[in-house]
Amino acid sequence: MREISVVVNGRVRKRIIKDNELLLDFLRDRLEVKSVKAACWRGECGLCTVKLDGCLVKSCLVLAVEADGKEVTTVEGISPGGELAPIQKAFVEHGAAQCGFCTPAWVLATHELLAKNPRPTDEDLTEAVAGLVCRCGTYNQIREAVADVAGKRRKRAPEGIAQA
Amino acid sequence: MSFGSPYTTLPDFEYHSPKTVDEALALLREHLDEAKLMGGGIGLIAFMKERLMSPTHVIDLKGVEELKEVKRVPGKGLWIGAAVTLSELLQDGKLGEENAVLHEAVARIADPMIRRRATLVGNVCEAIPWVDTPPALIALDASIEIVGGEGKRTVPVSSFIRGPVDVDLDTTEIVTAVVIPESKGREGAFEKFTGGSEFSLASVAIVASGQGKSKYARAVYGAVNSTPIRCAAVEEQIKDGINVGSVRRAGQAASENVECVDDVLASSAYRKHLVKVITTKALGRMMER
Repeated sequence: MREISVVVNGRVRKRIIKDNELLLDFLRDRLEVKSVKAACWRGECGLCTVKLDGCLVKSCLVLAVEADGKEVTTVEGISPGGELAPIQKAFVEHGAAQCGFCTPAWVLATHELLAKNPRPTDEDLTEAVAGLVCRCGTYNQIREAVADVAGKRRKRAPEGIAQA
Repeated sequence: MSFGSPYTTLPDFEYHSPKTVDEALALLREHLDEAKLMGGGIGLIAFMKERLMSPTHVIDLKGVEELKEVKRVPGKGLWIGAAVTLSELLQDGKLGEENAVLHEAVARIADPMIRRRATLVGNVCEAIPWVDTPPALIALDASIEIVGGEGKRTVPVSSFIRGPVDVDLDTTEIVTAVVIPESKGREGAFEKFTGGSEFSLASVAIVASGQGKSKYARAVYGAVNSTPIRCAAVEEQIKDGINVGSVRRAGQAASENVECVDDVLASSAYRKHLVKVITTKALGRMMER
């Protein structure tokens, strides 16, 4: 047991934790940050993605104790004033969420991509989100949302090609 | 909520974050086989969730500055510290040009988020049959630098990996780096086939000296057997140059000579087909360069 202090979305949060606690559990169970989803627990689906000191990581593969003294950003942290970030508006507009379970992770990852690379190519996007899974399969809509924010709205797929 | 079950929780342990190799060694000597070293933690955390490992002490090497370096040591080669992550390695501008085979293997591991945490040394120490960097490192004649125990020793990657999840490392020792000997004019390529899963079903790392120069050739296969294996028959085919004929013969030689196991992921016959395909692809790319 030890006390750790983590800046989560700009707020200093102190909690006593066990050394074997995952960052994922610390965020969800101790701090009630429920946008961070627990799904595969083995680093495959990426739905527990958070930003740790500026880098996207899968929080099911990080110990909470490793975040001591560091900064964590979750999707709540990208729209601090309550105003949706451009990528969030684009997700709404393009219907890039179906069940919505994976959406926080996708929003965070694509927001981060656009912050670092304002005009990502399709390949840049594919690479940046390679660790994320959307079981509803909204990949095309997510592509459109990202392209929209990047300022190059893509043409819709031709008739006859299945698209939700 | 983690439901208190394995797969989602970790066994109880005490976490240590030493700042130097000496501090880490002292912790190891104190806790011996009750301790496990952690690099990026990708493998260790997964093993702990499955209770395949239940150390009571976890010694995290991320805070050890001296292990975070990538340096070029004259006469020795490229020294890659144990705390260097795969993405840090990819950011090294010269890696692709000097050791294309390793660059290609690392660039295709998992995804960027995993690569930001995972380390090269961790990947090798896991010694899981389907990890991708050991074949590349063996093809480069790389070594593992170890401290502790009786002092310092260096072991070729090929003998460091003794079997699945079994490496030549004592409980009082730490792997400090991977060292790749200097090489000039060597070409290399890495190919793998995953069938869309997270595991390679077959991989190959090929390194050869430029045509007409010194005859260095390595063809090392991963994920087809319990440890990476070299295939002399393939090496023989490419020693005198990589051309349409030798590429075809090497693919055939791979299929006939690389010993492939049958397991739940793929049959031996399927793997024998895969090694032919990936050998031909890797050599084809080297030929075009």
